[in-house]
Amino acid sequence: MSDRTQHAANPDVDVDVIVVGAGPAGSCAAIALARAGFSVVLLERGPFPGSKNMYGGVVYPRILDELIPRWYDEAPVQRWITRRSTMVMTDTQAMSIDFRNDAWAAPPYNGATAYRPDFDHWLAGHAESAGAQLLCSTTATGLLRDRSGAVTGVTTDRPDGDLTARLVIACDGVNSFLAKDAGLYREVAAKHYTLGVKETIGLPKEVIDERFGVRGREGVDIEIIGCTSGVNGGGFVYTNLDTVAVGVVLKLPALAAQQLRPEQIIAKMKTHSAIAPLVEGGELKEYSAHLIPEAGLSMMPKLATAGLLVAGDAAALCLAAGIWLEGVNFAMASGMYAGQAAAEALRRGDTSEQGLAGYERRLTETFVLRDHRKLRRAPALVLSDRVQHRYPQMVAAVVERMFRVDNPDPKPGLRRILAQERKRAGVRRRDLARDGWAGLRTFG
Amino acid sequence: MMHSSDSQWPEVSFEERMATAHFDVHPHAHIVVNSAVCADCTSRECVVACPANLFVPTSDGGVVFNYEQCFECGTCYLVCNQEGAISWSYPEGGHGIVFRRT
Amino acid sequence: MNSPIDIVVCLKLTARPGVADADERFAGVSPADQAALETALVLAEHSRGSVTAAAVGPVAAELALREALACGAHRAVRLDAPSALDSAEVARQLEGVVGDAAIVVCGDYSLDRGSGSVPAFLAHRLRCAQALGLVSVDHTGVVDRMLHVVRRLDGGRRELLTVPLPCVLSVEGSVARLRRAGLRDALAARTTNIDVRPSAPMAAHAATAVVTPYRPRARTMMSPGDPDPLARLRALTDATGSSTRGETVALEPGEAAERILRSLREWGYLD
Ligand SMILES: Cc1cc2nc3c(=O)[nH]c(=O)nc-3n(C[C@H](O)[C@H](O)[C@H](O)COP(=O)(O)OP(=O)(O)OC[C@H]3O[C@@H](n4cnc5c(N)ncnc54)[C@H](O)[C@@H]3O)c2cc1C
Ligand code: SF4
Ligand code: SF4
Repeated sequence: MSDRTQHAANPDVDVDVIVVGAGPAGSCAAIALARAGFSVVLLERGPFPGSKNMYGGVVYPRILDELIPRWYDEAPVQRWITRRSTMVMTDTQAMSIDFRNDAWAAPPYNGATAYRPDFDHWLAGHAESAGAQLLCSTTATGLLRDRSGAVTGVTTDRPDGDLTARLVIACDGVNSFLAKDAGLYREVAAKHYTLGVKETIGLPKEVIDERFGVRGREGVDIEIIGCTSGVNGGGFVYTNLDTVAVGVVLKLPALAAQQLRPEQIIAKMKTHSAIAPLVEGGELKEYSAHLIPEAGLSMMPKLATAGLLVAGDAAALCLAAGIWLEGVNFAMASGMYAGQAAAEALRRGDTSEQGLAGYERRLTETFVLRDHRKLRRAPALVLSDRVQHRYPQMVAAVVERMFRVDNPDPKPGLRRILAQERKRAGVRRRDLARDGWAGLRTFG
Repeated sequence: MMHSSDSQWPEVSFEERMATAHFDVHPHAHIVVNSAVCADCTSRECVVACPANLFVPTSDGGVVFNYEQCFECGTCYLVCNQEGAISWSYPEGGHGIVFRRT
Repeated sequence: MNSPIDIVVCLKLTARPGVADADERFAGVSPADQAALETALVLAEHSRGSVTAAAVGPVAAELALREALACGAHRAVRLDAPSALDSAEVARQLEGVVGDAAIVVCGDYSLDRGSGSVPAFLAHRLRCAQALGLVSVDHTGVVDRMLHVVRRLDGGRRELLTVPLPCVLSVEGSVARLRRAGLRDALAARTTNIDVRPSAPMAAHAATAVVTPYRPRARTMMSPGDPDPLARLRALTDATGSSTRGETVALEPGEAAERILRSLREWGYLD
């Protein structure tokens, strides 16, 4: 810890930059700025970084190569993902595509399971060692602005709680009241969000190793479609060292429009014959819930205004499209780029919206916005009624009939099975062709 | 349907479920629900959607809300369609939900 | 006006109830210790006094001290020691810091259900007045070096005490709600220097305390004799009636002590 950057260069403000939220976005922004020599206050409303944060369970930290070389030697990781399954299920059937990759078991790795209270706490520790002043148990309650409307700081819920800065970076997560306060969101609507609920289920490590077919620190990541009792969404099962995370993500309007409560939907998924043997006998260690900004580019707010940048979930930079559940990587990347763009703007002394344009440029040039552009149709497609309800039925039925052995009847040809099952599932050929094409363009 | 009877184990009660989460409760409620508005609401989106089950319909047609075991997720204010029913904010810094293995 | 008085508040960082992890992220200061800090700050404000926050323990204990500094404590001292010391040893370690403070304030018991005996040991070592298990501390007397306090007794009774300084107080969590540290103070407290002192050599007999889960003692309840169910319910639950079998006796100190011990044994408080 150092206080070399304690005081802002400009005596009129308390600090060069205030970063709100010590999640992955905020900590990476703070690291980038503190290393560039600016004074940074990193505000977190929880008692420690990560205490308010919940997710499915897999981080893809390669973006940290730049900020924390050999991060994998020290990050608080549970297991390294070496096996990834995508599962489509109906009430009584399941089909998986299962992929194993031994290379993912060694540096530089690919994905890892980690608990957020561990991971975010660790990452914020790097922000502190870089010189940022981390202040927990402090909620930013609004923005300070000058007469021109430019953001000049934040108000907090502490006595004497106003803090001024040359620039504020809002990394305050999915509900981002700061981005809303600044008018950066065109629309705030339930349809843009999914609710994630999960159970952390305790099981002995050997049992998990055996059930999931892994050893040592190897781990498994399963994403599921068709497991949410008819509510548009998806499910996941992730392995930690001695717990398994089981959860569902549910589109808010669809959830609110039916009768099953979130924990009942998990309970039902856990009784499926493809899931039950994995988690049976385990003890519920923790139940948790959190929102996801799911609508991708279509909900994305303006990313900058004079004196303010927005990164991570606060900017809806999260990819929640069925077989993808990524956000921590986008948060870390967008936070880092926001920090770099902020440093550039501060050096030039121009924190106007124009002066901050470097941020969006960086995002556009990198995977952050490229992936979002490429997958912009994915959330709507994956969460559409056809993909959610009809295709799983159809796919499962086709596969069932291909694998069914009931001689002496001759097996019908695949083409015929497909046509029959498509009709039975009530899918029009035109829609199938269109969705297939959209899928190819999106994921291909 | 989804139940294959040999793969059952006792589901925990909702109270036990919530007892696995830790809350550092602040004496003042961070979410206030206007029961007058709820009394006229027929859709009751909050009741099914709140993951902590904090909106409870009463026999006289109202809804009672308890803030103590709130995940601070934001679902309720997003799904509620009635203007002015929910005034929502985060609890005072340092209070509320504290996750551990999430 | 009397000279400014020195107040020492003793704080302990403990794991929250129900948390197995011995992890500073999940540690905190008990409501009673928080009330002790607030009491110390208020007394200091009314006496031009200064507050020293003291903790015995490893580096993690500094979290509690920084919170105290953020709230307005003037300085902080940590006595470097392992975390699981018995109360007598903690009191012995604190003696050096407490020195000739006019008031020492402690929490009644800590989050991990400590026995609350540190303040008693401290008062004994310092040979000064003690008032323990307080539910209210009136600050007005502090300028006259006389504190008016209220102590909780069994059966909902209260005892008004006047305690001369120097003294050791222990307070319940309900005495005061700790103020919220201001933003600038909280930021400044991150880097304020904490005076870390090596612990005094352990006393020969010093044993590290064995920490076991808290189990309330079994207590014998008289079954109410009344045949009427409502009356029986009342007898079991009514706080307004006299629920303890109070008895006033006048005895010599020695006999009185014997008598108290006997009653405590009868009621199941002592083995
Ligand atoms: C159920 C679920 C499953 C997911 N699964 C995955 C997954 O497997 N892999 C993946 O990569 N991503 C996943 N995500 C997405 C991922 O969690 C987010 O994209 C990521 O956490 C965003 O990081 P962030 O830093 O932008 O925001 P957050 O992690 O939400 O951090 C925001 C921080 O700001 C703090 N804060 C908020 N408001 C204030 C305020 N006013 N004042 C002070 N502090 C404040 C919060 O306490 C928090 O610490 C999942 C999300 C959910 C909900
Ligand atoms: S909170 Fe909103 S949705 Fe819930 S009962 Fe009240 S008005 Fe209806
Ligand atoms: S914020 Fe979430 S947990 Fe809290 S009351 Fe609203 S829906 Fe329930």
